[in-house]
Amino acid sequence: MKLRLSPQTLLVLDAFLVQPEEWKYGYDLSRVTGLKSGTLYPILMRMAERKLLETEWEAGEPGKPPRHMYRFTPEGLGFARANAPGRAGAGLEQVALGMVEG
Amino acid sequence: MGAPRRLAAGILKAAIDIAPEASREWAAAMLRELDFVEGDWAALMWALGSTTVILRHAACAWQEWLKGSTKEEVGMNNTGKKALGVGLGMLSALALVGCTFAMLRIISLVFPGLEHSPWAYWLAVMVVPEAIFVGATIALWRKRGPVAAGILATGLMMALHVAVHFSMR
Repeated sequence: MKLRLSPQTLLVLDAFLVQPEEWKYGYDLSRVTGLKSGTLYPILMRMAERKLLETEWEAGEPGKPPRHMYRFTPEGLGFARANAPGRAGAGLEQVALGMVEG
Repeated sequence: MGAPRRLAAGILKAAIDIAPEASREWAAAMLRELDFVEGDWAALMWALGSTTVILRHAACAWQEWLKGSTKEEVGMNNTGKKALGVGLGMLSALALVGCTFAMLRIISLVFPGLEHSPWAYWLAVMVVPEAIFVGATIALWRKRGPVAAGILATGLMMALHVAVHFSMR
């Protein structure tokens, strides 16, 4: 279950560690982490491939296509807590302060 | 919906068509998120980033496939392997033609004037694909002969189609 812990991956782990039980959307994660789609999605895909994330299609309003959402698996939560201890929110604070560029 | 957003949606939809099966779900997810991106130019940037991801995956899948035999090929007899190779070559060539038409459609959306320019049309649907077919045939001839033959056959069929089209006019 190896995952290269780049600064961008740590940002994504941070974003998931905030209310980890809740489903999150791709664009919301991009806004929170400041990562562009070209950086964010490969990380999400690798995490899902390693069973750190579970994915699901949200049944939206009738007539509208569903939206893809993500949240930690129990393994993913354990991995994030082990590899980014005490980091939850720290990276996101940097984003909020404009210190991290996408 | 502004022109950049329309272009963004067009690019991503075209990219989904060539996405490998394994990453098609993700491609669809990126396309869906496009509706929520605020600002037309931001949407275009989102689509370009997403398309890069899809193309990278498609390139990796192609590379894997070109490296060696697929699972289906193992256990087939020689004729079966050759037939599969020719079929895959033809499918690849047709996929390229499909992509060319998609690109032409996108370009005509952005530059409506070009739609009525015959040289741009023939360049996009005939000259460029035929050049790629010839290049791919030469590159693959030794390593994957049947695939090269499939590509060449499709290229010849396209050329024949154009010749018939002109002779009828």
